[in-house]
This record gives sequence, C-alpha cells and structure tokens, in this order.
Amino acid sequence: MADPKEVKRLQELAREMREKLLNLCGHYDGVVHIGGDLSMTDLLIGLYHHGMKVDPADIKAPDRDRFLLSKGHGAVCMYIAMSLRGYFNYDEILETYGQMDSAYGMHPCKIQLPGVECSTGSLGQGLAIAVGLAFSARQKRQSHRVFCMMGDGETCEGEVWEAANTAGSYKLGNLIGIVDRNKQLMTSFDGEQMYLEPYADKWRAFNWDVVELDGHDMGQIIDALDSLPPVTHDRPTVLVASTVKGKGVSFMEKNIGWHAGALSQEDMQKAIADVEAAFVRERSAS
Amino acid sequence: MKMTFNFGSFLSARTVMGDTMHELGEKHDHVWALTADTGGALKEFKKDFPDRYIDVGVAEQNLAGIAAGLALEGNIPFIAGMIPFMTMRACEQNRTAICYQDLPVRFIGTGGGLTSGGGSTHNAMEDIAIMKSLVNMTVLSIGDPNMVRDIMLLSMDYPHPLYIRLAQGKKDRMLYEPGAYTYKIGMGITARDGQDATIIAHGEMVFVALEAAKMLAAEGIEARVIDMYSIKPLDEALVLKAVKETRNIVVLEDHLMEGGLASVMADAFADGGVYPKNFRRLGIPQVYAGFGSGEEQRAKYGYDEAATVAAVKKMLA
Repeated sequence: MADPKEVKRLQELAREMREKLLNLCGHYDGVVHIGGDLSMTDLLIGLYHHGMKVDPADIKAPDRDRFLLSKGHGAVCMYIAMSLRGYFNYDEILETYGQMDSAYGMHPCKIQLPGVECSTGSLGQGLAIAVGLAFSARQKRQSHRVFCMMGDGETCEGEVWEAANTAGSYKLGNLIGIVDRNKQLMTSFDGEQMYLEPYADKWRAFNWDVVELDGHDMGQIIDALDSLPPVTHDRPTVLVASTVKGKGVSFMEKNIGWHAGALSQEDMQKAIADVEAAFVRERSAS
Repeated sequence: MKMTFNFGSFLSARTVMGDTMHELGEKHDHVWALTADTGGALKEFKKDFPDRYIDVGVAEQNLAGIAAGLALEGNIPFIAGMIPFMTMRACEQNRTAICYQDLPVRFIGTGGGLTSGGGSTHNAMEDIAIMKSLVNMTVLSIGDPNMVRDIMLLSMDYPHPLYIRLAQGKKDRMLYEPGAYTYKIGMGITARDGQDATIIAHGEMVFVALEAAKMLAAEGIEARVIDMYSIKPLDEALVLKAVKETRNIVVLEDHLMEGGLASVMADAFADGGVYPKNFRRLGIPQVYAGFGSGEEQRAKYGYDEAATVAAVKKMLA
C-alpha cells in the first residue's frame, strides 16, 4: 500500500502541475493539447516524482530510467512535470513555449532540449523506439527500465502492435508501457468510430503483463509503479490507466472540443478554480 | 575474404555483407544486425552474437523504430532488407525516428532497380528519390561487391544515417581489385577515362557503362565512365570536371529517371553554373514494369549497353 504521505505529496504536485498547465494555456497565443495533458498529469507526476530513477543533475547517467513520450503532442505536460522535478525552469517554459527558437515546442525535440530522451510527435512511433532502448539495456546488462507513455488513440497505429509483438516475443521485462486510456481520440469517443475494447486483453494477447488502474488515483499509481517486476522478468508490462480527458476542469472533461484549445483569461481563472475545488473535494474524501 | 580478382566475374554482395557484419560484430560490441525476416546472409552473426541480432518478422516500420532506439543508446544498428519495404513502408520512421534525430543507422538494401525479379511490388525504382530527400541521410549505390565491405568498415566512424543500395545482391560483378581505391562518402571513381563523352552510372549499371564504353571504343569513341557510388553527397567536382572536359553526359541508372542520379546531376549543373553541351538520362520511365530479369528489363525500357552506345553516338553525330 502506498504511503499516505507520499500520496499527499504527489497529489499536491499534480494540483500544482494542472495549474501551471492551465496558466500556460491561458498565456500562450495558440492552442495547447490541454485535454490529453490533463489526463496524463497524475501519471507523469507519479513517474517523474516517484517511480522513475532519474536525476536532473545528471541527465546522461547510464543507469537512469528512460522515458519516452510517444504521445508527443503532450510535450508541455512533460516539460512541466520535469520542471517540477528540477530539470527546467517553469517561467522559461511559460515565456518561450512555442516561440521562434524556443527549446520548448509543441512536440519534444531531444536535440533542442537535452533531458528529453527522444524526439517524438508522430503518433505510434514511440513504443518501437522504446523497444530499441530496452534491447540495448538488456544487452549491456544495465539495471534501468524504459518507460513509454502512449495515448490510447495512437494505439490504432499498426506500428504499436508490431512493437508490442516484438517486446513480447523477446521477453523485454525492462520495458514498461503506460497507456493514458482516456477513451477519446481527437475527433471521436472510443466506441463511436473505433472500438478499442477489449483493450487490456489486446496487450495480454501480445504476451504482456497488464496492470489496470485508475490513472487519477495517486495511491493506485504509486502501487503500480512500486510493484513493477524486476528488469529480468520475462514479459514486458503495460499499465492501462483509465483516465478522463480534461481531468479536473468541469468544462473540459469528456468534451470532444478540448483535445486542444486556447483559454481566455476568464476561462483560465475558472479552470484553475475548478482544479482547486476538485483538489479540496478529493482531499476531504480521502 | 581472400579471392582472386577477375574483372566482371561474379560475387554475392549479400555474402560480402554477411561476412562483414560478422567481422564488425566481432570487433565492436555496439554493432547490431537487424532484419525483418530477410536475414539469410546474417546466419553467422546470429550464431555468434545472438543478443545483438534482432529479427522482428515482417515489420519494417517497427524495425526502423527499434534501430532508432538502439542508436540513441550509442549502438550502430545495420538494417538489412529488401529496398521497397525498407525505404517505402518505413519511410516516415526513417525520416522522423532516425533522420530527424540524426542517428547512425545503416540501411543495406537489396533488389535495387528492376533486379528483384519479383515484379512491381518488389521493384525498387523510387528509393533514391525518397532516401535522398531525407535531411541528414547519406545515399550510396554500390555495384562492386567488394566495395560493400570497405564502405561498411568506414561507416563505423560515420555519425549520420547511411543508406546503401545494392542490386539483387546474389550475383554482382567485381569491378575493382580490392584495395585499388580508397572509397569515401562524397566521392566518385573514374572507372575508365575518355574525352569524347562521359557515362555516369551507379550500382550494377557501372558494369553496363563499362561494357558500353568498350563497344564505343571499338568504333573509335573514347567514353569516360564514372562510378558515382555516392549519390548524396555528390562528388560535384568530378561531375563538373567531366562536363568541362567531355561536354557530353549520359546518366545511366536502374531507377526512375525522375528523382534519381540524373536529377541530382541536373541540380549540380544548376548550382555550379556549368552545363553540358548534351545531357541524356537513361533509366526507368514512368511505368510499373512487369516480370523478367534485370537484363531483360533494361533492354525493354532502353537503358542497356546498346541504348547507351546509341545515346552517346547520337550526341556526337
């Protein structure tokens, strides 16, 4: 069971992260992929602040855990999770995001932004690259894990399942997939055009261990990360995290219009107030 | 590999590739061999270095992604496979996962041009146009099978993505005595000298060009033959020198005429401000060719020895 103090610490970080995301969304003169950012916020906090062995002061450490954001359009979410961990300065992200020559763009670029492990953005490509990282780690007998965060929508791409097949076949126990299962694609809900269920069974069929969890329950996130098998395990693991697109903001949750968008100052204030209220509500309930 | 050199005799480029992979695998523990179910020539590598051998089955996109991941960790992955699937099925992965991050992945493709014998699904007519358009990608086309080893060895110090195009890879003509040339990315070879015209070719078409030059010599025409194995970057100095000295240029290639070496040359003429008196390209027209051997296809579509001889003679008439 997760330590209640640690749960609390991470919940507070997640609240701060949501506020920073919304603040950026309100200040940036353009659209931010805010829906999917808010759905994976708790997972990214769990990873960068609890589950992954990383050190912002030593971004090339050979045994650091590797993180790939396959859903690269959520880059700003990763930048902010990393800034809260000490990698980057939030004010710099806020001031330069999406601007000419900024290192902080809509999709992450490892060449422009050291600390990012891989340039991503073309959906469905991350898992295969993560498989390559996992092969390398195993061959070099390194102790770290490779984490790959995917959106459920991008798992419509065939390459994801090619990579899943390879990871299962080659028994890459050091590979951890995480699916932000918010059940929304950009323009449709799961079940409206594409039926992704039985989702977890699809991974099982490719010889993966599957952990299903509530991707907004910090206790469950911590437990899932603390219970990962050793890197020598003979199956890769995927965390299928049930989430809500736009989580924490009443007018964004499960609203197909909020895959990406811009916020007026007024809506930004309302959104931040929503996040605060939700935080207080959840706190008093727990 | 020790061998007796006889100009024009056959050797399998795939065997040279497989032997060289093993040699590199033994020497460097960061060399990996990757294949999408076409690893026949990699048996020895697989036997001796199984933890650095990955066969993903028929899944080229995935393979390109895995290669990117390996390269991100400081490894040098060699992908061996059939050109159309390596360059087209996985085109976006090659671009975004590999070239965008400027990773040292090596692609060794077989079945260049119409040599596959498999018909249009397996022909490789567009690969040079596609691969040369990728930023950071280097494009080589090799005819002489022994050159494959030299290029693979030199690639160990090359920090960028590299595409090596081979013909069918089963029976390749030896053109140069091993050790006769030091190959370099961005250079071509003057395989035969001449002052009347220059035939510029790559891959297995270099042998065809040399045969054509012999036929022309019998008629008193001295044609220069350039083996332009480095298509990107191009040996522009060698091209412009040939233009100045011979004025007449024929490009001969087993690739669509649009987008291949001929297009690269036209770019070089425009950029260099030097233009040939006559310029003719021989290669695959806009057609999905049918079945048949490479030789038969070349004769049918007008880029064999006879067509080359005719093109040069017409220029000089």
